[in-house]
Amino acid sequence: VFAGVRQAQWLTKTKLVEGLPAAVQGIMDNPALGLQELEERAKHVVSHARLWDTAEVAPRREKYCPVLFENLIHICRLMSGNYPSLSKRMLARNCRIAATWERESILLQVRGLSGILMNSMTPIPPVASKEEILATKDHVLETFYPIAPTIDLQEVNVYKELNDTGQCFRDGYPYSHPHTLFFLESANVRTDRFRPEQLRAKMLMFAFGNALAKAKALHGNDLKVLEEPVVVQSIGTDGQLFQFMVFQLNTTDLVSNDGVKNLVWIDSDQNLYERAQCVPEVKKKVVTKPAGISGFQPDTFKKFLALYLHGTV
Amino acid sequence: MAALGAWRLLRPGRRWFSETVPGDPSPPSSPLYPPVVASATAKSKAAKSRRLQRFNQQVHAAATVEEKLRLYGKLQRPKYTVYPQTFALNADRWYRSFTRTVLVPGMPPRGAAAKPPVAAAGATLEAGRALEPGAEAPEVAEAPGVAEAPGAAAGAAPHVDIGELRSLACDALLQESFYQKKKRPFLYRDQDHTPGPFLTQLVSTLAASLSGRNPLLAASSLDLSPEVNYYWHHGEEVVVHGHRKGRVDPVRFQIDDNPHLQIRVPKQLPEVVPLESDLGDVPVIDHKPSKLPLFKKQYENKVFIGSKVADPCCYGHTQFHLLPDKLKRERFIRERLEDQIEVVYRSNGIASLFAWTAAQAMYQGFWSEADVTRPFVSQAVVTDGKYFAFFCYQLNTLALTAETIKNNPRKNICWGTDSKPLYDVVEDGNVKGFNDEVLLHLVHFLLNRPKEL
Repeated sequence: VFAGVRQAQWLTKTKLVEGLPAAVQGIMDNPALGLQELEERAKHVVSHARLWDTAEVAPRREKYCPVLFENLIHICRLMSGNYPSLSKRMLARNCRIAATWERESILLQVRGLSGILMNSMTPIPPVASKEEILATKDHVLETFYPIAPTIDLQEVNVYKELNDTGQCFRDGYPYSHPHTLFFLESANVRTDRFRPEQLRAKMLMFAFGNALAKAKALHGNDLKVLEEPVVVQSIGTDGQLFQFMVFQLNTTDLVSNDGVKNLVWIDSDQNLYERAQCVPEVKKKVVTKPAGISGFQPDTFKKFLALYLHGTV
Repeated sequence: MAALGAWRLLRPGRRWFSETVPGDPSPPSSPLYPPVVASATAKSKAAKSRRLQRFNQQVHAAATVEEKLRLYGKLQRPKYTVYPQTFALNADRWYRSFTRTVLVPGMPPRGAAAKPPVAAAGATLEAGRALEPGAEAPEVAEAPGVAEAPGAAAGAAPHVDIGELRSLACDALLQESFYQKKKRPFLYRDQDHTPGPFLTQLVSTLAASLSGRNPLLAASSLDLSPEVNYYWHHGEEVVVHGHRKGRVDPVRFQIDDNPHLQIRVPKQLPEVVPLESDLGDVPVIDHKPSKLPLFKKQYENKVFIGSKVADPCCYGHTQFHLLPDKLKRERFIRERLEDQIEVVYRSNGIASLFAWTAAQAMYQGFWSEADVTRPFVSQAVVTDGKYFAFFCYQLNTLALTAETIKNNPRKNICWGTDSKPLYDVVEDGNVKGFNDEVLLHLVHFLLNRPKEL
């Protein structure tokens, strides 16, 4: 996607807010959660994924990225010992998403494997207040004239407008609300991975697709401003750099350029650790870089956990 | 050596005349001559034993565990690859003889492990912690009436909500098999399509919800598709062909295992029975291992529990194994080998658990010459998606080589159940015939922890 997040914003009629919303910040700052003790565990978990997980010297990204993700989710899930309502979540892997919408007479569609999806039984409460939503009316969407906003999008002849609840689940599924999407860029070769800007755009598009499909399932197909906005979160990583995103769908009326806009809060390029040295680097018989994880940032893990707990705590 | 010999000839001459030289500078506390030992390089039995001794001393004196492991597996020779999931007939008897394991049917008696004066408290804890009143008969028989009343009274706190766990399990099952729209399974990859993800979901959600009750789980580490390897010697054979023909060599084995899921913990599980207990006999098989069939290959001798030595979670708790499509029940029934179905589960349990516990012991510095001083206990669940079999293994000895096994009375012990179905069928969004016993058993396993926690 060419201009990254800016283009995605235009396509989904969204206003960008830097940083994470106040509700998530509140969870992070809540001392009752005991986030300090978890830091030690988070460090162990990062060391496990990056250093200890393999019988070879150093694991490759294809191995350590999913392992790191699984370990972080394991720590988050263990919190459900203290908060029993956390067990009302279910991870779904390899689910396909499909959602269509019209944007100024251009028909757009999001399709494909959307990574790992976590569903919950209860929806996330809206993050932005009503005033903020109404204030977005005055926000003007950025256009990049003369570049058409649909640059770099694949033009396909769509014969069936698919909207099958967006998620790939049948009716009656108890965990019906999409909570968080996880994207793991785990290709070994750097050119096969998405760059951070494109990763954020991809996260935005898929979060929007899921939210739109959920909104259509709840409120029907007509285009209008939603009474209860749908909130979907998204986390993307390549094993070291994390991108956090909270998306709130306020309106399904995407044809026109004015009116209430959707909101997205993005916290980008958060490093979980600086470097992970498997073998100590020795130059002229002096150890310059000792083995281990250096520059661990507990804040990034706190954000991960806060996004996980959001909606239940 | 020649120079030394000549010097020896000269010295007695001088000594003869200077016996009474006063003020002998070095009092003869240290021996005058270097010890007379066999050569280290000659082609003789004495030289071979000297080389072995030197190797043992080297490994004993290794500074770190990684160094020990490296020296232990340094010499590469052709070895038998033992596969835990195998279609070989009666493989569990062979595996028991390779690993010196006694198979005890049924599960280890948990209450019996507590000593008699603590029996009441231990049994109370057991009854209150694990069961709803009036559930499994053997446990209630072990803890007679005394435990019932305090158990029921204290039932509030350690009581396990079986209804909620059942709904979690059913949700996981339904999601994987019914609700999530998936493409058709790839050819012969049915296990990756539904039972694999179901097992992952089930274990992760159950472990998370039980972590409040078991602090060991709260500090655990969950591995998905880890690697577990172990290399050992057992018995002796004569080399059949090649440039080493005619020499007596130890029989080498290697297990390379990939459990579906594994839980590792920082503290060891408690012992089930004392170290020197004898609960049965180890089968003795007179044939060569290649008759099983087992084949030899030469490659790296790995000892690995799932993560490196530096990991604080270095003890094992539970492993979960998924049987592949090749070993499904229908295939055995079609070929009229119904009795081999249980053999598959047993051989998987014994081999995988032996490899895991032995590798854990090696990570603590024990090896065949330095036998374990405390038993290592781990658990495993072997399943094909519907039928579950539970195993508990206690490693009492690592000394399986030809020299060390001569005076070794200890045997490893494996408790195992038969495979039972968790549910009958999944139809239209409902799970029919859900078996609570199997779920309870699984919960038992996950709640297992050292006494002090």
